[in-house]
Amino acid sequence: MKRSFHQTSILLALLAMPALALLAGEASDSPPPPAPDTRALDEEIQAIKKDVVDLNRDLFVLEEELLFPANTQVAVFLSMDVGEFFALDTVELRVDNKQVAKYLYTPREAEALLKGGVQRLYLGNLRVGNHELVALFTGKGPNNQDYSRGAQLKFEKSVGAKYLELKIADRQRKRQPEFEIKDWE
Amino acid sequence: MQNRRNSLFLLAAALLGAGLCVAAEPAYRLQGRAAPDFALRATSGSNFRLSEHRGEVMLLVFWGSRCGQCGTQLTSLSHMVDTYRSAGLAAFAVNVDDDQVAAAEFAMAHPVSFPVLLDPAKAVARQFQVDNLPMLLLVDRAGVIRHVHRNYRSGSDAQYLDQIKILLDE
Repeated sequence: MKRSFHQTSILLALLAMPALALLAGEASDSPPPPAPDTRALDEEIQAIKKDVVDLNRDLFVLEEELLFPANTQVAVFLSMDVGEFFALDTVELRVDNKQVAKYLYTPREAEALLKGGVQRLYLGNLRVGNHELVALFTGKGPNNQDYSRGAQLKFEKSVGAKYLELKIADRQRKRQPEFEIKDWE
Repeated sequence: MQNRRNSLFLLAAALLGAGLCVAAEPAYRLQGRAAPDFALRATSGSNFRLSEHRGEVMLLVFWGSRCGQCGTQLTSLSHMVDTYRSAGLAAFAVNVDDDQVAAAEFAMAHPVSFPVLLDPAKAVARQFQVDNLPMLLLVDRAGVIRHVHRNYRSGSDAQYLDQIKILLDE
């Protein structure tokens, strides 16, 4: 007896159905594969991340020590106190009549300074001897008027790092801002 | 014979044209690198620093008042930025005119919804190696320059939009 192709296909499908059902049942009954222990792996990744951050910090410190050795290093910081009579816009820094830094402040940066932040405005090298630092401040003064002021300091650079601070403060009695350069001995 | 010669001439012209097109779009060396940080004053009087917008997709467009396509591009970008601002898109239009009055007048004539920054010294344009106006850069949330577009053509907006959507989804 010769079967047609159509009949053969139906017969094969009928035979295969129980086998497929059995396989599906086995698949649903078998327990799920154990979850890999991701917690240990995550801890390891966090430890590596911390090591990388520490290494980066050490490299940064090393780079600064190499580029700006302590015997020639000069750093200028900027801080603001109150700020009722002055809204900072830009600061230009000149050392020995040469512009070494110019910084434009965004409202967020000015706000951070008002909250007590101290910015390192400049880091450089100077030879031992006498030098002059001039800082030019621009912004909005009392009554929201354009305001520009300068401050100057003659200082002596000795062996060892030199730290200077530009301080902007309110002079309540005169209702004017005050600009000062302080030498951290 | 004449037809064949004409065909060869057309082919040579097409190849030359294609070559010129390729030559007109030189590779941008900063693509795939971190966008240089800068701070500039806007026409509004406020100061803006690029790094304060890290975490957002940034669209930087360099333009000049004597550039023919710049006005159309800025107007079109303004609509796009309005739509996608809430999804994390920030935009800055950096003007490179020497004449700040001309820049301000142009900006008034083509109002945009994002800050127009002034770079008369072209220090920022040099940092970003701007070699054409307009020039548009797309910076991803990590601060990496991902796409650069020189010139502005019909169909450019659709291309920008596709790239912006991908960057916003990342």
